[in-house]
Amino acid sequence: MSLTNIDRRSFLKVLGLGGASAALAGCDMPSTVTLEEGKEQVYSYLAPEEYVIPGVGVWYASTCLQCPSACGTHGRVREGRVLKLEGNPDCAVNAGKLCQMGQAALQAHFNPDRLTQPLIHGKPASWDEALGLIAEKASGRVAWLTGAIGAHQRVLLDAHLSATGNNRHYAVETVNARPWFDACQTVLGDAHPKLHLDQAQSVLALSADLLGTWISPVNFMGQYGHFRSAPRGVLMAVEPAMSLTGANADQWVAAKPGTEAAVALAIGHILLVKYGLKLDAMPNAATAFRAMTPASAQAISGVSSAALEKIADTLVTRSPSLVVANADHETARAALALNVLLGNIGRTLTPSAVLEADALMPRLGSTRDLAEFAQDAAAGKLDAVFIQGANPVFVAPHALDLPLALKAVGFKVAIASFADETTKLCDVVLPQTSALEDWGTHVPAFGASAGSISLQQPLMEPLHAETRGLGDILLTLGKQAGIAELEAFDDYYGYLRTAVSALMGSDLEGDWNRVLQAGHFTAPAKDRTFTPPSDVTLSFSESAGGEALLLVSTARQGLYDGRHANLPWLQEAPDQISKAVWDSWAELHPTTAARLGLKDGDVVTLTTKGGSLTTRVFTYKGVHPGAVCVPMGRGHTDYGRWAANGTNPLAILDAPLGDWHNNEVLSGATPVRITATGENRHLVRLMDTDQQHGRKLAATITAQHFARNQGGA
Amino acid sequence: MSSLLGNIFKGWSDYTKSIEDGGHHQYEHMYAMVIDLDKCTGCNACSTACYAENNLAPVGEDLFGARQAMHWLRIERYFDEPDVGEADADTQSRGASFLPMMCQHCNAAPCEPVCPVSATYHTPDGLNAQIYNRCIGSRYCANNCPYRVRYFNFYDHPQTAWPAPMDQQLNPDISVRSKGVMEKCTFCIQRTRAARDLAKREGREMKDGDVQTACQQTCPTSAILFGDLLDESSAVAKAWKRQQVMLGKYKQDKANPELRGYRVFEELNVDPKVLYLERVREV
Repeated sequence: MSLTNIDRRSFLKVLGLGGASAALAGCDMPSTVTLEEGKEQVYSYLAPEEYVIPGVGVWYASTCLQCPSACGTHGRVREGRVLKLEGNPDCAVNAGKLCQMGQAALQAHFNPDRLTQPLIHGKPASWDEALGLIAEKASGRVAWLTGAIGAHQRVLLDAHLSATGNNRHYAVETVNARPWFDACQTVLGDAHPKLHLDQAQSVLALSADLLGTWISPVNFMGQYGHFRSAPRGVLMAVEPAMSLTGANADQWVAAKPGTEAAVALAIGHILLVKYGLKLDAMPNAATAFRAMTPASAQAISGVSSAALEKIADTLVTRSPSLVVANADHETARAALALNVLLGNIGRTLTPSAVLEADALMPRLGSTRDLAEFAQDAAAGKLDAVFIQGANPVFVAPHALDLPLALKAVGFKVAIASFADETTKLCDVVLPQTSALEDWGTHVPAFGASAGSISLQQPLMEPLHAETRGLGDILLTLGKQAGIAELEAFDDYYGYLRTAVSALMGSDLEGDWNRVLQAGHFTAPAKDRTFTPPSDVTLSFSESAGGEALLLVSTARQGLYDGRHANLPWLQEAPDQISKAVWDSWAELHPTTAARLGLKDGDVVTLTTKGGSLTTRVFTYKGVHPGAVCVPMGRGHTDYGRWAANGTNPLAILDAPLGDWHNNEVLSGATPVRITATGENRHLVRLMDTDQQHGRKLAATITAQHFARNQGGA
Repeated sequence: MSSLLGNIFKGWSDYTKSIEDGGHHQYEHMYAMVIDLDKCTGCNACSTACYAENNLAPVGEDLFGARQAMHWLRIERYFDEPDVGEADADTQSRGASFLPMMCQHCNAAPCEPVCPVSATYHTPDGLNAQIYNRCIGSRYCANNCPYRVRYFNFYDHPQTAWPAPMDQQLNPDISVRSKGVMEKCTFCIQRTRAARDLAKREGREMKDGDVQTACQQTCPTSAILFGDLLDESSAVAKAWKRQQVMLGKYKQDKANPELRGYRVFEELNVDPKVLYLERVREV
């Protein structure tokens, strides 16, 4: 074989050049690319390009897309492969840190189950055929269903929608903070206030898992580190089942699913009546607070008056405080009123900033959008839909009957990196590059730094030649829809570079390279201001179900809403609370289990109006006796080789449609019947004991000791 | 053969000296850790970062259940808090206690003298190291480890754990272990080596902060500190001093016994080099 027979493409892949060449400008190596177009030359491995040093890893900045937080990353690239992700220390969102989902983005990228070519009705096809079919069929009432999306991807998506004469964009995120955002908008006039955990001396979380899955967990965990330094803050959590936040609380209190609002109202009652705090700005809220006595809240939620008193006392004496809530809209509004009552506005809750180009602000998604999509689709209001970054069939509760709704949509296109339950029902599937191969800009869900936009740059040449980036696909579709302005751009990189330069007010090569190197840039933004707290009517509506056990589907940092179930690192990472791996389980309180005659490992069938599922029992005291909790994420039927195990609780949730507006996070709405199958199978866990058996393993001291010694570290 | 015997005798002699005189070591560096359990949220980020950095093989449900997982750094979770009194009978009212557990790099490591081939030994950096290609798989070391942090390759995981193209992610700075060898946390020795080489090229001494282990680097709450105990200016050395925890002791004699620092199983006289700071709860 002569040297010239070496396939040029695979050779470039080894060296990590080619299409990713622009990415390489981001490091401190020379920024010129010396490969000349059309000139075939073979270089020895021993003499690669001057900025590729065999054996030396170079770190490039990019952005993590594992959840909508948009943390800045550094990817270690060696010999053209990305080997490790770390947080970008320069990024205000995560300050150099990543969660396990961020670490595992590598496995989504290198996953053997990636889609590698376009599919038409499940059969391999070429891009020309697929795009031809889209041009022919995607007309009439066209909609987009995506996950959280923002910045320039959102701009192109909106442009596509308006060019096709539509404006239906459904942003679907099952794990979302929509109740909180809506309440903040209503009460403060700013949907995304900045939270200052690090300034707070006490924090109350009402079913808001701020260390695990809520808005921007890595940012909040960074703040939590400061919160726990002397003088040490007190964390309290009220929720139906222990979340990561609850597991770290000084005071953890179980509330019956769906009754968090009553708890919030009763705390307000104590603050008004016992501590004499004033809520003159919100007379309606004050009336609602006064109406909910601790005794009635105890009867509703199972939270004792003593626990409520203790929480209220801590919030008053450990000021400034912060109350966060995400259980439902009622609870979130009551939490905001509590923050007003406690004087936290302007202290631990401050106004955010909004980009002057507000078309770039992200749509963070909700379950409500999923419900609306299902209704619109089923009613025949949509002719074609593009689905990207979401797996609506997997996350849709049974009541929405999404497969049937999708059937009513004439033409469905999925843009995805993996085949999943949704792509299976689509007419055309366009294979998307991984997040580590693509260009993009992202506005973080939690704006830690005003106007900051994260840049996503490829860390590697695409593994699969037939995949295309989301931006490139949007650009192609936009051109197809006849948007003349887009004709000037050959690819998304060109578009993005022009757009970013315009935002920065500089198109100098050096400035662009600095953005690549930093991984983010600052666009003009204006500070929002809070409106004076507007009065809201607070209420608590008891869900149906009476004494029945209620099914709660909990979200965990890890498999999240199921999108990470195909990553072996996360399947094998023991669940933070139960320590189970690779399979699902149903959490029961020991007294409930005893009443039902169940023990750990018993295989049970959970039956709701929406269907039934089979899983194993795990008992512990971190769950309300009236709840059965099954973490979401597992039980895929069509998501690659690693995701098939376990069971999907979302599939049997059966809330009435009207409830979606209140119940974004799908908890506590579904009465469930539990029956033993008679079988017992050991649940595989990291450890089969929950006790230290007298050994000093994880030791605890009291806060009084800590305060006396100022923490000592 | 003589050199092998020499290694074994040296291992024995080091070990006996360690338990008689904890301060006898002549290290160039002595890497150690501090983990603040009040900041640790038990989120698993460190553990997953370790999988990514150190080519740890996921083994699947069955082998995990057989206690054959390869998690060098695992987060143990306990529901009891013996130090702050009885737990609430009905509810887990003070949350959970998380304990990141990895090799403690004991100065008197009980795994070392039992190795028949001296595959596990102490480096001049004060690390407990495993020489994979010397290991014959007797598993005596794992048997002798009180922390259960040595992981044996009962199977040829590289054949199954990373189907192409996942194998492209493997870190080329360290080896991929195959069937029949023991493996364990190295305190990211490849990072230490790289930092040392860099310092040498730049003609300077290593300084605190040159090396970050993968777990420390990613910890969202910055609960983990890592550094050289021999460097008195390092954050780790300062924390040990502040906590009044001394190496070479199996029982600490603290001037202020309320300080939070403690070592797990210190009483076994293995002289672990990971200092934990007690979790704190309002009681």
